[in-house]
Amino acid sequence: MARALESPPASLPAPAERAEPAAREDRLARILAPIVIAILVVGGWEAIVRVHEIPHYILPGPSLIARELVESWPVLWPSLLITVKIAALALAAAIVGGVGLALLCSLSRWIEIALFPYAVVLQVTPVVSIAPLILIYVDHTLTAVVLCAWIVAFFPILSNTMLGLASADHNLRDLFELYGASRWQQLRLLRLPTALPYFLGGLRIAGGLSLIGAVVAEYVAGTAGTGTGLAFRVLEAQYRLNIPRMFAGLLLLALTGVAIYLLFGALSHLLLHRWHESAVRRER
Amino acid sequence: MRPAEPAPAVRVEVERLALEGRTLMEGLVLDLPAGRTTCLLGPSGVGKSTLLRLTAGLLPGAVRSASDGLPLDGRIAWMAQSDLLLPWLTVEDNLLLGFRLRGARGGEFARARERAGELLARVGLAERAHALPHQLSGGMRQRAALARTLVEDRPIVLMDEPFSALDAITRHRLQDLAAELLGGRTVLLVTHSPLEALRLGHEVRVLDGAPARLGPPLRPPGSPPRTADPALLALEARLLEELAGAPRPTLEAAA
Repeated sequence: MARALESPPASLPAPAERAEPAAREDRLARILAPIVIAILVVGGWEAIVRVHEIPHYILPGPSLIARELVESWPVLWPSLLITVKIAALALAAAIVGGVGLALLCSLSRWIEIALFPYAVVLQVTPVVSIAPLILIYVDHTLTAVVLCAWIVAFFPILSNTMLGLASADHNLRDLFELYGASRWQQLRLLRLPTALPYFLGGLRIAGGLSLIGAVVAEYVAGTAGTGTGLAFRVLEAQYRLNIPRMFAGLLLLALTGVAIYLLFGALSHLLLHRWHESAVRRER
Repeated sequence: MRPAEPAPAVRVEVERLALEGRTLMEGLVLDLPAGRTTCLLGPSGVGKSTLLRLTAGLLPGAVRSASDGLPLDGRIAWMAQSDLLLPWLTVEDNLLLGFRLRGARGGEFARARERAGELLARVGLAERAHALPHQLSGGMRQRAALARTLVEDRPIVLMDEPFSALDAITRHRLQDLAAELLGGRTVLLVTHSPLEALRLGHEVRVLDGAPARLGPPLRPPGSPPRTADPALLALEARLLEELAGAPRPTLEAAA
């Protein structure tokens, strides 16, 4: 019996050979499982709508939404570009503002003490309630909308970058000091690379939030502005009881959010996969 | 690998050092003999690392002087418990970090690179010069850190429990390697392992009490790296007893 335990049966492949197909199965499952869920949900939805003959102005079926998406593409696509432009401008401003302020805070504790509470206030005040004020006081609608989206996207970048800049190992700081590194060198060669993974984490959150911020701002701006973003199209469709178009607009927004998330995920992987714990594949 | 310039003796004097209202050290004088390795033992939290940081000039509160009368700044190399390799740089670039920080160029940089290559060969990492730290084992990383400490060719080397995170066998090998490569430098090595102190130190000092006091130097027979023979192990046992709270005279009798 003891002998039988020592040598595995010949039919069992070596662990390394078994691991390969297992990894492939895992990857396949990651792609297939969500697709299966999507087919079930969309199929079930279509079936319920057809069986119960639900009118399209109450709940349109997926096929009708798909047709609407194709038919109103000439209206929806330019609107999507506007919303994406707002989100992108807001995110760019959030990166500049967030990283800039984080750097200032890391250079001087006084700046941090003086300014950080206001960053928190900005973060915790619901943007829906600030947006009408901003729209009143800022003449240029695009600027106002971008400002609203910026408020939402700014904080994750600021707080993550601050955390990252403060995370450099104190022994490494000692080492840099013994090597006679200047403050600027310490920032460039030690603190900024240390902060990069944290910043990228913040960017992934802020990317999605900038889109949400843009949509909220467009909703609040509504017909008051020049409003032709995708959120405005959804609102407009609602007023006209064009429910399929509402769904089409929402679908497009959701897909855009996913695309932004994937984009920053890929960027993060690209920048970190060589060295950072989160992205490095362990050698066993 | 003897240092390019002769290593001076170093004296560190702490008149009084208090942290958070607690007197950590008072009237303490640490002498590091020139070109010798001094090992500093003591219970956790007694201030060994603080004394090391004071010696390095990373903490204010100590008067430091070298026997040649020259300032200590720029003549000290540092090695810590963690390897302190920057994860985004290759092993070679990590070794050359100090030269990059000082803006070394052309011939100077080429020479540094050559020296880095030699040292990597000495610590058995010649093949891994272009690997990133995460691709190396813990022992390899610490060998790279040792090479980085030496590439600067500074006469004074401070080490803070450099081998404590390693397994016993790797630690033993690295101690031998360190003793060989550090020859001729003035070294202060902080450790919590009496055996490590006895194997590597020309002198072993015990830091103990509150405020912390330095025991008299213990000079084990022979020169480092000593083999862990029964005599050394017996000495280790006595040191351990003393550190654990036994009376001091036994140690002086042994020395």
